Amino acid sequence: MTPLKPISGARKVVYGVAFFVLFVAAWGAATFGGFVSPTFLADPLTMVREGHALFAKYGFARDVALTIWRVVGGFVLAGVVAVPLGIAMGAYKPIEAFFEPFVSFARYLPASAFIPLLILWAGIGELQKLLVIFIGSFFQIVLMVAVTVGGTRRDLVEAAYTLGADARGVVRRVLLPNSAPAIAETLRLVLGWAWTYVIVAELIGASSGIGHMITDSQALLNTGQIIFGIIVIGMIGLVSDFAFKWANQRLFAWSLA
Amino acid sequence: MSRLAIDAVSRTFPGGRRHAPTVALEPTTLTVADNDFISILGPSGCGKSTLLRIVAGLDVPTSGRVFLDGAPVSAPGADRGMVFQSYTLFPWLTVRQNICFGLREKGVAQVRQDEIAARYVQRVGLRGFENHYPKMLSGGMQQRTAIARALANEPKILLLDEPFGALDNQTRGLMQELLLGIWEVEKKTVLFVTHDIEEAIFVGGRVAVMTARPGSIKSETAVDLPHPRHYTIKTTPAFSALKARLTEEIRVEALRASAAVV
Repeated sequence: MTPLKPISGARKVVYGVAFFVLFVAAWGAATFGGFVSPTFLADPLTMVREGHALFAKYGFARDVALTIWRVVGGFVLAGVVAVPLGIAMGAYKPIEAFFEPFVSFARYLPASAFIPLLILWAGIGELQKLLVIFIGSFFQIVLMVAVTVGGTRRDLVEAAYTLGADARGVVRRVLLPNSAPAIAETLRLVLGWAWTYVIVAELIGASSGIGHMITDSQALLNTGQIIFGIIVIGMIGLVSDFAFKWANQRLFAWSLA
Repeated sequence: MSRLAIDAVSRTFPGGRRHAPTVALEPTTLTVADNDFISILGPSGCGKSTLLRIVAGLDVPTSGRVFLDGAPVSAPGADRGMVFQSYTLFPWLTVRQNICFGLREKGVAQVRQDEIAARYVQRVGLRGFENHYPKMLSGGMQQRTAIARALANEPKILLLDEPFGALDNQTRGLMQELLLGIWEVEKKTVLFVTHDIEEAIFVGGRVAVMTARPGSIKSETAVDLPHPRHYTIKTTPAFSALKARLTEEIRVEALRASAAVV
């Protein structure tokens, strides 16, 4: 192996798939071989059977849909407010000086720790779940967008000024397009984190969703269902990640070439 | 008629807690006539870029003032086009869109923008590259686009801050010819900052030599070489004599600068 030397696309796929195969093989060996008790860890086949049962008998599709809606809903709400605020902070230093210390502080407040409070304020309905995602994503997006916009190359801004742009023109036609790819990348990252918050929100005080199914299965010691639930989350995450990457490559071809 | 008047402009950068203020530019006076091509030649760190940035309005003088057509300069504006040493094309815009940037800010109609862009694309020899993004272009092509972008705005004066400094020797030679060719046709007022003596003489109508830091203008030398200039002029006795003289002047300043560091 040579450091940083690229490999062909086909080999990349083979290597990537190989690890999954190895992983499932090791799992199968541990469970089918009787090294681990089924009480603690279901084998892959049981997991698939339980998964099928979940969809066929227990209406798991509704749980999945609900969870996706909560993540997307909370995330979109956070993005709609956080992205413009982040841009304003990155572009205008007084606005940054006003918000930045608080946002930096709030960023370290664990979203899951708010759940008891949010249940008190918003009940155990959908609003509470959306708020958990919102709190978890909002401050991260604000800060990362502000850093991105604030890091715009000075000489590009100066070039725009010498071409006759005013402050508004610089924000809209230099800072924004220049930061757009990195902002999209930020959203992709934070969406991944939002998935972890939604499950926590559903573990506590929920009667539906993937997280709720997992808590239920725990009570029944059904490790097959738990693992299936976790894998479903992983799959949805992977799909949304690919979708984001694909869209970013389409939208910001200029930043790749 | 004097187009640009730099009147006793100086610049001192404030010091921090641990270091003294830096005097980058001593009071400097320079008058530029309409259609003049002035090369500002100086050793590195002499404040020549600072002077240009003050003219552009990107920096504020500590004392003195700059007048363009009699009006004091206080902020950057489209009447002073600038080409930077670093590549400053907007990476998300194509060559054509980059050239149109200033026109768009002015609110020029799209059809007119395309006409003007086509003219300058032609002028800097980038036909066929209109829809390329900057990342797909070589350094020389990027700077040609930057020149076209500045010219398309029809500024009163063109400011060039070592625009060919990052290019290889051959490309630099070609770019000098290109710039000179454009000037011979369009007759623009140009302020051209460089540390390359040959370049300063070849493109300039007048060479202003700056002293080592803190900089100020030490001498002005008229370049009495006929136009249009061909690159072979660089090997003529007249050119060599000028080069020898300016080399001597710059050498003294470079020595002073290095002595100040030691």
